[in-house]
Amino acid sequence: MFEPVFLAQQVLNGLSFGALLFLLASGLTLVFGLMKIVNMAHGAFYLLGGYIGVVIAGLTGNLLLAVITAVIVVAVTAFLVEVVLLRFVRGQELPEVLLTIGVSFVIADLCLAIFGGDPQNLPTSATIPGALMIGDLIYPWYRIFVIGVAIAIGIGLAFVQTKTRIGAIVRAGVDDREIISAMGVNIAWVFTGMFVVGAGLAALGGTIGSGMQSILPGVQNEVLLYALVVIIIGGLGSVTGAAVGSVLIGLIDAFAKAWIPELAYFTIFLPMALVLVLRPTGLFGRTA
Amino acid sequence: MNRRMLVNIGLLGLLLVVLLALPYFGVSNFVLGLASTILIAAVLASSVNFLGGDGGMVSLGHGAIAAASAYAVGWASRQGLDSTTQVLLALGVTLVVSFIYGLLSMRTSGIYFLMVTLAVGMLIYGLAFRLSSVTGGENGISGIAAPGDLHEEWIYYYFVLGIFVLTTAALWVVSNSPFGASLRGLRDSESRMRSLGYNVAQYKLGAFMISGTVAGIAGLLAVWHINFVSPSSAGVERSVLLVVMVILGGIGTLLGPLIGASIVVLVENVLSSYVDRWPTALGLIFILVILFARAGVAGSVPKVLAKLRGRGPSAAPPGDRSSSKGAPAPERNHTP
Repeated sequence: MFEPVFLAQQVLNGLSFGALLFLLASGLTLVFGLMKIVNMAHGAFYLLGGYIGVVIAGLTGNLLLAVITAVIVVAVTAFLVEVVLLRFVRGQELPEVLLTIGVSFVIADLCLAIFGGDPQNLPTSATIPGALMIGDLIYPWYRIFVIGVAIAIGIGLAFVQTKTRIGAIVRAGVDDREIISAMGVNIAWVFTGMFVVGAGLAALGGTIGSGMQSILPGVQNEVLLYALVVIIIGGLGSVTGAAVGSVLIGLIDAFAKAWIPELAYFTIFLPMALVLVLRPTGLFGRTA
Repeated sequence: MNRRMLVNIGLLGLLLVVLLALPYFGVSNFVLGLASTILIAAVLASSVNFLGGDGGMVSLGHGAIAAASAYAVGWASRQGLDSTTQVLLALGVTLVVSFIYGLLSMRTSGIYFLMVTLAVGMLIYGLAFRLSSVTGGENGISGIAAPGDLHEEWIYYYFVLGIFVLTTAALWVVSNSPFGASLRGLRDSESRMRSLGYNVAQYKLGAFMISGTVAGIAGLLAVWHINFVSPSSAGVERSVLLVVMVILGGIGTLLGPLIGASIVVLVENVLSSYVDRWPTALGLIFILVILFARAGVAGSVPKVLAKLRGRGPSAAPPGDRSSSKGAPAPERNHTP
């Protein structure tokens, strides 16, 4: 139970799951920060991205191609959802959330119709073979690769947000959307862009994640809940918070599943309840 | 105004007569069972409707409150306890669960409230799923029989109908009491109510306890009806469907929950035998309602009728509450 190899394995499990959570939660939290929408279709975007990734990877055996296709298809879907549906209820908190719930119903059900109900995984030909071996510790390279992708995405997001003009516009939009639109920025298209980027991150998570855990109907709700817990703990709208929350929840989840499987679900909500009671805005959230 | 009230009361009376006469139309047990399912769903939806319509707090966790109550009944029946004890236990569990929900959510509003209730609901789902020594795990608890007198389908239908009328009346009374008026005040501007000296959190907790109790009653009715409870009854899908019902029917209206529950249950049970893709159908209906008929069926029909008669829409149609409170930063509106 406390052998070093076992502990190292669980830490790696927690970190790789946390990496997957970060890919999901960063998109969700960025969209919330700018648009004040909790996108309930985020899990459905993950699901759609995962299925498309698995199919393309099965056809070509190329993970990069699978990821690119999945991201493009999901980004186009998200673009349509944003421009055709969400724009009509802009600024109305509740209808926006409810609309994304409706979208989630439709996407998840159409996925079931197209891809069937069986659990699907990335074919092994598309994943990274082999395992890291240090003494008694054996750990698949693929999961370490997922951690790497999440770190790269995290650094990329931080760079874009702090060093580029686009990032400056987004940050200004978070602070005061009236002023930024008065300065000649078409905020409606910034919103659309952010929504599409968030969905693309979910699709990336879906494709890469399907090499770690099966993609099947119902998974959209599970990943959405994990992502929600992460951003509630980290603070809505904060990418740093999403990173810290992801690692925290990933580790807690891994150790809980290993030590107290009967309460595994319970353990991730306990920290959330604590954060809500002690610091309702989350660890890195701003006060409203 | 008086004439409109008369028309409304007349319509309510007519609806009640039809519902009372349903078993005498010679309908099959299947139809009666479906009618009971609709009424039970309507009780549950009315608890969400009360909180959402008057309190402006849209909950995504009420399915799990009903499930907790149903699990209490299931556990008690497996221990061989009689039906009075089952009811008491269900009520006790409901009160405790609602209190926990209320405590965690009373300082939040809007989207945050929605997410907290969602998360607590998932917690109950997780417990139902994993704590198999009490809940039977994935298989749930089956063979939960209703008390002996309620076995016949038509008797149970009348029992459910009675409870539906009672809870709807009770929620109407609460909603029209000073407490209900304060809740609507909170919904419209929390900061103003606070500056008037109201203890906002306390009011929210109270509203949640009332709503949760009704949800628990619905859970009790449901488990006696289908004699079975499983984790899926506590799942997000259930709670989401409840919100769908409330919005479809018309949030904040008296009969909205019944109308919404009828649509959703019929789509789920009847349409699903003809069309495989009923979640798509439901999702599309939901999207269309949000885009074009935010007030729902019960809120939109009177508006359309009024328009046809050449009058403008009345000053404050009940269904429009939802749209007025959606501004991105309501707290910022200092000037009235």
